[in-house]
Amino acid sequence: MKRIFVFFVLVLIISGVFMFASENKGEAQKITLLYWTFEDPTLTRLEERFIQEFQNKYPDVTIKRSTYPSGENIEQKVLIAFAVGEGPDIINLEMRASFPYVIYGRLAPIDPEAVGYKSQEEIYNDYLEGTLNVATHEGKLYGLPEQLGSYNLLLNKKYFREAGLDPEKDYPKTWEEMLEVAEKITIREGEIIMRRAFDFRYPQYLISWLPMVQQLGGSFLSKDASRCVINSEAGLRVMQYMAEWGPNGHNFGSPTYVNARKNFNKDDGSIAMCLTGLYQTARLKVENPAFYESREWMFVPYPRFADAVSDNGCNYYSHFFMVNAEKPDYNQKSAWRFIGYMTEHPEEYMAESALIQPRKSLMKSDVFNKYPYADLFIQEIAKSYPVIHHMNALKFEELMKEAIQSVMLTGVDPKEALQRLEQKANEVILGG
Amino acid sequence: MKYNSRRGSLGKYKAIGGWIFVAPALFYFALFSFYPIINAFYTSTLQKDILSLQPPKFIGLENYVYLFRSEDFWKSAEATAVFTLGCFIPLATVSLLLAVFIYSRSKPFQNFLQMAYFSPAILSTVAAAVVWLLVFDPRGLANQWVNFIANTPGIDHKWLALSHMVRFSTVIIYFWKYIGYFTIIYFAGLSNIPRTYYEAAKVDGASSWTQFWSITLPLVKPTIVLVSIIAMIQCMRTFSTQYLFTESGAATEPINVITLNIYRTAMRDRYIGRASAMSIVLFFIILIFSWLQLKVSKTEKISYI
Repeated sequence: MKRIFVFFVLVLIISGVFMFASENKGEAQKITLLYWTFEDPTLTRLEERFIQEFQNKYPDVTIKRSTYPSGENIEQKVLIAFAVGEGPDIINLEMRASFPYVIYGRLAPIDPEAVGYKSQEEIYNDYLEGTLNVATHEGKLYGLPEQLGSYNLLLNKKYFREAGLDPEKDYPKTWEEMLEVAEKITIREGEIIMRRAFDFRYPQYLISWLPMVQQLGGSFLSKDASRCVINSEAGLRVMQYMAEWGPNGHNFGSPTYVNARKNFNKDDGSIAMCLTGLYQTARLKVENPAFYESREWMFVPYPRFADAVSDNGCNYYSHFFMVNAEKPDYNQKSAWRFIGYMTEHPEEYMAESALIQPRKSLMKSDVFNKYPYADLFIQEIAKSYPVIHHMNALKFEELMKEAIQSVMLTGVDPKEALQRLEQKANEVILGG
Repeated sequence: MKYNSRRGSLGKYKAIGGWIFVAPALFYFALFSFYPIINAFYTSTLQKDILSLQPPKFIGLENYVYLFRSEDFWKSAEATAVFTLGCFIPLATVSLLLAVFIYSRSKPFQNFLQMAYFSPAILSTVAAAVVWLLVFDPRGLANQWVNFIANTPGIDHKWLALSHMVRFSTVIIYFWKYIGYFTIIYFAGLSNIPRTYYEAAKVDGASSWTQFWSITLPLVKPTIVLVSIIAMIQCMRTFSTQYLFTESGAATEPINVITLNIYRTAMRDRYIGRASAMSIVLFFIILIFSWLQLKVSKTEKISYI
């Protein structure tokens, strides 16, 4: 009886060891990487192809690509997933939102060899100077850029001509001219705007509104980022501009109207100008080929104030491919390999989706140099500031939204709104 | 003595049977309601960034102290109070009147009206808010209708811009969505009143109005209490409409209800401890008001039998 018992125990132990070994072997051989990115119809075909090619090259790796609407939606999905320890292996997120992940050690520093480089230094040399700084923390690089972006004015030439303007000459170069042009193009039925000349990129205040303040010499944070300094003359002037723009002022636009960028591609007479990135051209090509081919659209630089002390355009932002630090080493290595594979094709990202991956080789390529308005975007980025990277960047943006909305919609005095914005932002900085 | 012990063992069996039947519900409640409440209370005593891997710091009641000093929280409380008062009083009263109206119709008509009023309740709140956002767009149907009726062409009523209008807009959506739901509950309450009472009242020469005041209202009182408590709780927990509105550019402050504040504090600011404190405060507010409503409406049982 005793022998039988010992025999059974031995069989159990041996089979357990074999099972464990085979499981481990299986883990090392077959893995599934979850890759979360934002929705962009022009990217899907391209990245699905990259996934297929990568899987053919590394049959032990399966990549599952999931897309979410850009902005708050994907940011929250990723945040919740990381909070409960179920984050994907690879994320493609705007650096402004992913900065806290870096600080809290939730993202892995880059594995240069896995992405196809000999060293981190070599990676920096391969990209335009300064473009990787936003993903660098304490000397370590945390990702590779999926895109470097900025907004400029996209305008519909037809609506300029309908208003008796020459789009090539009369497009607004300054914010003061913007008011004049808006007066000519805007069509209203009583108080209701049927055609907006232009409208702001409302939720994206750090990218598209703050540069106006910076043009006048102001900024949101002090140089050492220890306090908010938005309550300045520059801040006040821009806040007053917003009040003038809104429904209680000249009534040229409002955050309550449908997002200008979304309506632009429809060419339905509702919007003449919007602030958007170069990527819009690739989407326009897909969504409204006839309008795209008509070339009745063009990009012009982000306006400046007539008395601007800084010649900056819109703040530029970057999306980075990054890897979850909590995943097993083999997953991380494979994830970096996949990122390396995707970023080997900057020309295809440019041609298919009009996304600029700031590699020096891309800047020299025909694809980039022949792509309409790509040069304008790079020139503007060179003159501009990067968007704020701070632990509370998204909170700052929310506070800006509240302040600007209160001025534009509910008639709060710009001075008061600015004071409250600065006070609240300082409370956040102090950890309140 | 023998009889008594038999009765005792039967009672015991019945009690065990009762526990067996109730156990799944108790387990479900404990797991999905009671545990989260306890956990939220525990989390509310911590200073914790949901992204941080560092162990959270115990700070006692500091999150509560912060909240009661926070202007933002009080504004959220005000937004919640305005929405709740603006919504649940009309909901509780109009749905009763509608139920009485439907109850007085013929059977096929009753079925049709119940279905028609209930249909918005089936729609998800998000879908409803998206549809209503199009209605409230400056070029949307809301301006067109009001301008047509009031003969004020070209006026933008700023449904999503002005503080009072954006509040009113959220109330309209909620009212539209839930009026049918509460009407059905009242209708069920009305169906329990024997028709003979009305017949007897008619024989005695009572008018419709007298019948409503003297028969319907007293006998439907338990349903009124139920509806008013459910409606109040629903209104205090409102979230999706306000969330979608603020995402679509509507002025945030007037509709920054406590639930929205909780969501933003946890999901944008990452202060999970503070968000938990807010949810505990909201829980107690709801609890107190529900208890108060029960207390105020508690009277002796009315019966005409």
